[in-house]
Amino acid sequence: MTTIASRLPLLCGATALAVVLAGCGGTTSARAAPSASTAASTSADDSTIDDSDEAADDTAAAGAKVSANTASEDEISDALEQAGVNNPERWAEEVVEYRPYPATDPNLTKLRDNLAKYNPGQTTVDKIVSALTP
Amino acid sequence: MNRGSPRDTGLLVRRGLVALTAIGIAAAAFELYGERHWNGPEQLVPWAALAVLAVATVLVLLPGGAARTTGRVLALLVLAASVYGVADHILVNYDSGALDQRFADSWDTLPMPTRWWYAASKQVGPAPTLAPGVLGQTAALLLLATIGGPLRPTVR
Repeated sequence: MTTIASRLPLLCGATALAVVLAGCGGTTSARAAPSASTAASTSADDSTIDDSDEAADDTAAAGAKVSANTASEDEISDALEQAGVNNPERWAEEVVEYRPYPATDPNLTKLRDNLAKYNPGQTTVDKIVSALTP
Repeated sequence: MNRGSPRDTGLLVRRGLVALTAIGIAAAAFELYGERHWNGPEQLVPWAALAVLAVATVLVLLPGGAARTTGRVLALLVLAASVYGVADHILVNYDSGALDQRFADSWDTLPMPTRWWYAASKQVGPAPTLAPGVLGQTAALLLLATIGGPLRPTVR
């Protein structure tokens, strides 16, 4: 009984911490899906924010495509930079993270869906995809 | 009406907590599967924590103080993993601030507290900040279940 009593403060402290975290976690988890979809819709709505002149650069970069599945992170970063994407290194990380991409989907829908979580804007996503092939 | 003794009631409650722990493990695994939470080694951490928690759940059901103590230690490790998860999600969101079209040009100029608040409140980034707390909640249930002696009364 003494042992139990001596351990109670430790157990209670850990429990209280976990309950606080978990209680909030449930709420946040429930918000996660709408939040992601909100980001996606926001990116579509705000696509006019990006400079349309930069979008024109996509065509120029179209010849320098690299494989989203097999190219190294550095190669992808270089290709994104040539396509006029801001933060190319960071986006290259994301491209590598969400591998593999279906070879039958040249539009890289899986990548688009995952990038939308970051609310980058439609133009930025288009630029990224324009530099890549599956 | 025949009421059970307080000891029996306590045992029932603690067994119920173990059952909730098992449900929590299954639910968290299902949620992680739904999120495809396996892109890279770091995203495998909660899977490992769930496995550890499953082992801890079995241990606290075994007779003997050593197994119960080990189960408690493992549950505490999962609690620590839960805290790590929350911190990691905030960091991921923070690092994603400059990728958000609303802050692409201004993220670095925002005051530091503002940036951290945006990351913690998931106004930037893709990671649900406190979702890893579910792991902690489940581990806490298991810890509570171990208070008050063995879950299987000794047969005489």
